[in-house]
Amino acid sequence: MILLIPLGVVLAALLAIVGLAIGYGGEDVVYILIKSLSLLTILSVVVLSLTWVERKALARIQQRMGPMRVGPYGLLQPIADGLKLLIKEDIMPAWVDRPVYWLAPLAVFIPSFAVWIAVPFTSSLVLTDMSLGLLYVLALSGMSLIGLLMAGWGSANKYGIIGGLRSAAQLISYEIPLLVIAITIAMLAGTLNLTEIAMGQGNTWYILLQPLALVIFLLAGLAEVGRSPFDIFQAESELVGGPFIEYSGAHWSIFFLAEYINTFLVAALVTIFFLGGWSGPLLPELAWFLIKCYSVILVIFWLRGTLPRLRIDQLMAFGWQGLVPLSFLNFLMVAFALFYGWPNWVQTVLSLTTLVAASTFIYMKTASKKVRPTVRLIPAREVRRA
Amino acid sequence: MTEAQRLESVDIMVNMGPQHPSTHGVFRMVLWVDGERIVEAEPHIGYLHRGSEKLCEGELYPQIITLFDRMDYIGNYNMELAICSTVEKVMGITVPERAEYIRVILCELNRISSHMLFYGTMGLDAGAMTPIMYGFRERERIQNLFEATSGARMMHNYFRIGGLREDPPDDFAERVAGILPALEKGIEEGDKLLTYNEVFLARARNVGIINGQDALDYGLTGPSLRASGIPDDIRVIEPYSVYDRFDFDIPLGNTGDTWDRYAMRVEEMRQSIRIIKQALEQMPDDGPTKATGVRSIPRPPAGEVYFRSETPRGEMGVYIVTDGGDKPYRLKVRAPSFANLQALRTMLRGVYVADAVMILGSLDIVLGEVDR
Amino acid sequence: MLSTLKGMLMTLQTSLRKPVTAQYPKQHLPLMERQVGFPALTWDAKVGEPYCVGCMVCVRMCPTQCMSGTMIDNPLHAEGKSTRRKIIEEFEINLGRCILCGLCVEVCNFDAIEMSHEHEISHYARDGRRSDLPVLLEMGKKYQAESNWIAPEVKKAAIAAAKAAATAPVGEETKAVSASAGDVTETKDAPANDTTAGAETKEPPVEEAK
Repeated sequence: MILLIPLGVVLAALLAIVGLAIGYGGEDVVYILIKSLSLLTILSVVVLSLTWVERKALARIQQRMGPMRVGPYGLLQPIADGLKLLIKEDIMPAWVDRPVYWLAPLAVFIPSFAVWIAVPFTSSLVLTDMSLGLLYVLALSGMSLIGLLMAGWGSANKYGIIGGLRSAAQLISYEIPLLVIAITIAMLAGTLNLTEIAMGQGNTWYILLQPLALVIFLLAGLAEVGRSPFDIFQAESELVGGPFIEYSGAHWSIFFLAEYINTFLVAALVTIFFLGGWSGPLLPELAWFLIKCYSVILVIFWLRGTLPRLRIDQLMAFGWQGLVPLSFLNFLMVAFALFYGWPNWVQTVLSLTTLVAASTFIYMKTASKKVRPTVRLIPAREVRRA
Repeated sequence: MTEAQRLESVDIMVNMGPQHPSTHGVFRMVLWVDGERIVEAEPHIGYLHRGSEKLCEGELYPQIITLFDRMDYIGNYNMELAICSTVEKVMGITVPERAEYIRVILCELNRISSHMLFYGTMGLDAGAMTPIMYGFRERERIQNLFEATSGARMMHNYFRIGGLREDPPDDFAERVAGILPALEKGIEEGDKLLTYNEVFLARARNVGIINGQDALDYGLTGPSLRASGIPDDIRVIEPYSVYDRFDFDIPLGNTGDTWDRYAMRVEEMRQSIRIIKQALEQMPDDGPTKATGVRSIPRPPAGEVYFRSETPRGEMGVYIVTDGGDKPYRLKVRAPSFANLQALRTMLRGVYVADAVMILGSLDIVLGEVDR
Repeated sequence: MLSTLKGMLMTLQTSLRKPVTAQYPKQHLPLMERQVGFPALTWDAKVGEPYCVGCMVCVRMCPTQCMSGTMIDNPLHAEGKSTRRKIIEEFEINLGRCILCGLCVEVCNFDAIEMSHEHEISHYARDGRRSDLPVLLEMGKKYQAESNWIAPEVKKAAIAAAKAAATAPVGEETKAVSASAGDVTETKDAPANDTTAGAETKEPPVEEAK
């Protein structure tokens, strides 16, 4: 009962703000409100569908079926999951730092959602067509870092603190390749407006020009989201959740949503930057956008199902010693290509060669036939004789 | 003042408690962590202690076999073989040929299924969630065979003192031969997925190194010892049952790190398949499966015997003191996982927290036999 | 990254295979013939009483001591309808404690207890799934029907017939066969001879095998 009072105050304040806005702003404000609400709804539906797609994709990789009970082919499973999380008891340990603990999910969730007002779904479907869209998106997506730190600290749990610090280190490190690649794409496109970047690709998608950039951006994006193989800070098998360890029920569902929203954001950015956005024959633009996004997401799930996770120091080494130099190298290549006006195929060749060289280098250092560890086999009769 | 004195820091105690997804059972590890490096580790066991050895003193010999099934609950046939062979040694019974071969085939199949579970859990510790599903898919075939033979998928209670409880089904040899190609394929798939994967190599190489002499001093046995380069396999050094009639290889590692311990078990699976194939060829087609003259509740003469065998975890020793009655006077089990855990502390100093999980996984302990 | 790519290719191949899941409880995987379920008591339909005479060998053998029973004088024997002098009156197995080891079946001299195929007997109960005689007999009857259970007297008659056919000289084989056939029908009508001598008839075959 006592919670109704602050809830009532908050609702009244919201209504007052909305009323004032409509009163002073007029119809535009109503449109913005409607568009924002529909964006929220679409994103929630997308996130719910992502949970279903993930479970089904991982299940098929493991040669099993995934959810099949709740609804036909388990399609209502996300709703069941969401309901379960909402009605679950929020267990909060007694010694948490309350303001920090309560605000942490919001600090992670709000930037993840606020980013989407600048991301275009089709050439006309964007909430706000910002001319500095790219800057806005990347700036906000880096802000969820503070939320993770707050979650880790506020949990008053050693696992949480360790996880929070790990996540801070990881997210900061992988911002750099992400940003440098974004700058590279902006250079190629000549604009920071996301719609124009997507449409400016025409028929030569940037994946053809910059395969190396795609790989770096995808890996850096995965590390930003905290997905396998970079999910050490929420490793289920070690730190049982990392900064999210003391959150349950509705609180945890916010983190869960934020993770999937970020995954979808990474997929959407890859689509816009490299795969030509919504261009494609026959089908409507939105359909192509979604198809491309979901293909990238399937690749992300595929990576999750196949690879073990990297340890934190290996992750940092991979970031700083691998992705950062490569992204700067890529930047230089593109800068040279644009400055001297080289044709497109030069870019492709340079990019591909660097990608193949880097992959081969890693392979030669770790797993090639010469360096891989071997197992000696001694016949039993020799040991018997001895 | 030195730099260290000015920056006074405290080691954090991280408790990987009895309830943890990665400690392979109820096992508690208290880690003292300086940043990300482990400074000191303290294992606590005893959460699964059921008093098996004391229970054995009050149970008849066929009932003891059910207890042994449940000690190492993953390598059941190997435990049954250990206790049956011990009592047979005390009584001086010769087990008929056909029974010996069937025992060996079942034990080796159990070794394969145990190592497949190890392979899956190792993947899980590293963070890969697919190898365990592949491993369990192959294990299903083996467990279906076990169900057809003994009636139960896990706690078989099939070996008896003097042989087997009953004849295996008529199509036993065909069934075993039928699942071998699928098992080989499963091992190959597992290799492709995990063994030489760059990320797994980065996680497992040069992690938790223990050299041969230290391993011997700690009493490490089994694949963990062979990973450090010591060719110590009880099936070869002190052959029991019919193991001296088979031609197989012993895998040996070079460095004694986690990857070596993992690779030992993968290679052992292949060698087990070799043994099974040879056993199927050499097995007599018919014959008794139970030694004659053995009562259903045997009464061994007074004596003391220590018998050791090679279970998937290492050297399993059973020491029995009999007094002529139908229950043993004292039965002591030398569990391989218990001894292997002694080496954990040395291996854990100076590694990362994430490596602690990998090292513990690579030792392949089963808490049922650690705590008994 | 070659190994990673190989691994990814393999997971892709696996994702295109048919899943191995059997959706329980809509789909049940086939059980093996020897699959052990919970123990059940068998029913002698000829006489109309359980095979169990209450000798308690199984109770003594059980590692978890999950069984208990009471033996009484058989009322049917007093009426002359049965050859079992004693019969089981109450029998209880705590199926929650049973470890399904099958030792009770091994030591039973009368084939009175068998491991049925029952394994899906969960229900909400506070009594720890303690099953008394009628429940066990129900399980036993079901097991006898579905598994083509051969009664012990029929088995003994078949062994005796085979022995007689083997030991009789060749010329008198047909006479021996018909005689053994007659023996079989005789023993079917009067199982009494075999069951009363149940304990004794156990010994000669064992000695023979030695």
